[in-house]
Amino acid sequence: MINVRIALRGTLRNLLEGGEITVSIPEGSTCDDALNAAGIHREDIPSFGFVSVNGMRVMVTDTLSDGDLLKAFSRIGGG
Amino acid sequence: MKRLKLEKEKCLGCKLCAVVCSAYKEGAYRPSAARLDIQSHYENGGLVYDDRFCILCGICAKNCPEGAIVQEEYITVDHSKCVGCGTCLEKCPKNAPKIRDKKSYICDTCEGTPNCVRTCPQNALVFA
Amino acid sequence: MFGYTGKVLRINLSAGSCGVEPLRMDWADKYIGSKGLSIRYLYEELAPHTDPLSPENKLLLTTGPLTGTPIPCSGKLAVTSKSPATGTISDASIGGHIGAEIKFAGYDMVIIEGRAQDPSYILIDDDKVSVESADGIWGKGAYETEDLIKAKHGCDHSVLAIGPAGENLSTMACINTDYYRQAGRGGLGAVMGSKNVKAVAVRGTGAVDVPDIKKTTDRIIDILTSDVLVEDNTFVYDVGTTAFLEACNDGGILPSKNFSDTTDKDWVKYNGDVLMTYRQGKRGCGCCGLGCGNFLKFKGGTVEGPEYETISVAGPNAGVDDPESIMKYNEVADDMGLDTISAGDVIVWAMEMTEKGIHDFGIRFGEGEKMCDLLRMMAYREGFGADLADGVKKAAAKYGGSEYTLEVKGLEYPQYEPRGSWGMSLSYAVSDRGACHMRAYAPNVEVFEAAAPPYTAEGKGEMVYQLAEFNAVKFSACICDFWATLDYAILSELLTLVTGKEWTEQDMSDTGRRVINIARAFNQREGFSRKEDTIPKRLVKEALASGPAKGQKIPKEAFDDMLDQYYGVMGWDKNGLMPDELISSLM
Repeated sequence: MINVRIALRGTLRNLLEGGEITVSIPEGSTCDDALNAAGIHREDIPSFGFVSVNGMRVMVTDTLSDGDLLKAFSRIGGG
Repeated sequence: MKRLKLEKEKCLGCKLCAVVCSAYKEGAYRPSAARLDIQSHYENGGLVYDDRFCILCGICAKNCPEGAIVQEEYITVDHSKCVGCGTCLEKCPKNAPKIRDKKSYICDTCEGTPNCVRTCPQNALVFA
Repeated sequence: MFGYTGKVLRINLSAGSCGVEPLRMDWADKYIGSKGLSIRYLYEELAPHTDPLSPENKLLLTTGPLTGTPIPCSGKLAVTSKSPATGTISDASIGGHIGAEIKFAGYDMVIIEGRAQDPSYILIDDDKVSVESADGIWGKGAYETEDLIKAKHGCDHSVLAIGPAGENLSTMACINTDYYRQAGRGGLGAVMGSKNVKAVAVRGTGAVDVPDIKKTTDRIIDILTSDVLVEDNTFVYDVGTTAFLEACNDGGILPSKNFSDTTDKDWVKYNGDVLMTYRQGKRGCGCCGLGCGNFLKFKGGTVEGPEYETISVAGPNAGVDDPESIMKYNEVADDMGLDTISAGDVIVWAMEMTEKGIHDFGIRFGEGEKMCDLLRMMAYREGFGADLADGVKKAAAKYGGSEYTLEVKGLEYPQYEPRGSWGMSLSYAVSDRGACHMRAYAPNVEVFEAAAPPYTAEGKGEMVYQLAEFNAVKFSACICDFWATLDYAILSELLTLVTGKEWTEQDMSDTGRRVINIARAFNQREGFSRKEDTIPKRLVKEALASGPAKGQKIPKEAFDDMLDQYYGVMGWDKNGLMPDELISSLM
């Protein structure tokens, strides 16, 4: 098992208390797996934007390592 | 009795209140004719707030030489009696009345459900 | 007349006269107002190859039919002219209260033409219009200019002001209002300065009429609550555009050290959480519901801001991580009347030039405190400031270093790194006024929504068009960018309610396309074509060294492919030129 810290940004913050949680998931899990483990189902959230791991943008299908910081951003309008 | 109150820290100075007031009271978007004026601006490097709105103190009613002003839950001005002398504006601690074409226009809280309050996007203007 | 006033105020500074004429409603029907309408007017009234700093150029202040109504985010004004920075048509959107004030004074548009003999300011009090002496005001910073005029005429006046940069004709000079709001880009402040106009002060006591005021106002208040004041938009109240900082950093599009790299691990030192600890108050433009303005007080001064562009250019792009340095840069730039984006890009280029030993401008990455010195040198054209005051393209022509300049048509790059979002290189290339992020905001799709793969040319022509079409019609209505959830259904409904003329969703799309085309037609007549729709050498030659987009550069073939796609979508030929029938259809 690996531990991954999930931090939510923008309008996604309300989905978790304090906007953050640490999940324990099997090795080889993807970002999607980690989010699902936290009860966040991307398909059901229209404002879901993108994800980053340790400050770098990745695909939701990328795998995670122990101790990673996974951030999920909501879409942002404007410029 | 409910009165208008302004929570300055929340005010954006956007003037939606005046534009909406003039809509319902004057039939056009004409904030210069609105019965309240709340704005902020920068001056000498600082942020300055200016507000003129009726706080229902009743001083206008007490001082109107024509007896045109009555205060109950809100102010009403009888335009058949009002001659536009401007005494109400002179005495008003908030400079709230607007004198136009020899008549005084004073906020009547939209008869208990002020439109400015329901519009204020930051709930800076409250009726309590 | 509903929505519009139907009147244009034309001020001839050379003759010292002014007059009121009817608004061309046939053009308003095709272009709505603000951006589109002002460009149509200038297409008609400016002879090709007019010198932007000559009396023959014209400066237009153009409202839209929605200006002066309580429609949220309608507190904007289009300032339009031929740009001295690029030679293209250039419209900028300024906030504050000036737009509504011009409308209440009775005018849809103000046309300023000619040149005043002496330093002057224009005073508009409803139908009383005069040109006053700017004696005692000319030479002052932009903040003091507003103070002096308001002290003289009353703070119920809204004021447009230029600082020393505009007076000294820097092509990066902006026009300010409410101290900290700008018509920022394209050197419009220099156009005003070239006309000897220091300021425009306006007070209006008139009205905007609509067919059914009660129904319209009730519906507007309803939309305010149900569509505007929702989380997707209200983030601008909480932290403003600082919200973009982390997203751009993690997204791989935050520029670092003159676009030589992306990401800055130190962004937490100057992000929204830090900046908001300095907050004293909130402000919004006329009839705004969102209130993006954050008035900050810090050790060195005060400023309403800084926005994402300013934070990025004076922060990571300058190798600086000190929030007070960033705030001070913002405060000084606004007072000097310089566009923070263009001036910042020039400064960070000067830093790289010094570091690489190409030319010693005496400033290196990380030297935040020296940035304000360079701002003043550029505004007053002192020393080498005179060479930098007209933008990075001209500076490189003199000093070399064009491999390190990031600009298109002479307008400097906003702070989004296209190697992390390829479609943005197309957007910057085809934008009507030079490299601008407010025409087609590609990062939304390629990064923030993860809706299109960022490192490919595929489909980017259509993507950029859709984004550009939406903003073109939105800025012609005119509505602020921050009402992000606005759609064609609501926009067409509001235009119909206000003007009494039926506008459909299809009209929105058609008008957006038409506005893009009229701007292109203007530029084409000035001689612009594919060869000016460029990509900076750095993006093609240098692969990013770090960050999420590490290893990315944009091959020239990919860029050419994106251009071909876009021209195809627009119906322009392979050289980016519009056929005659298309131009005729715009008239």
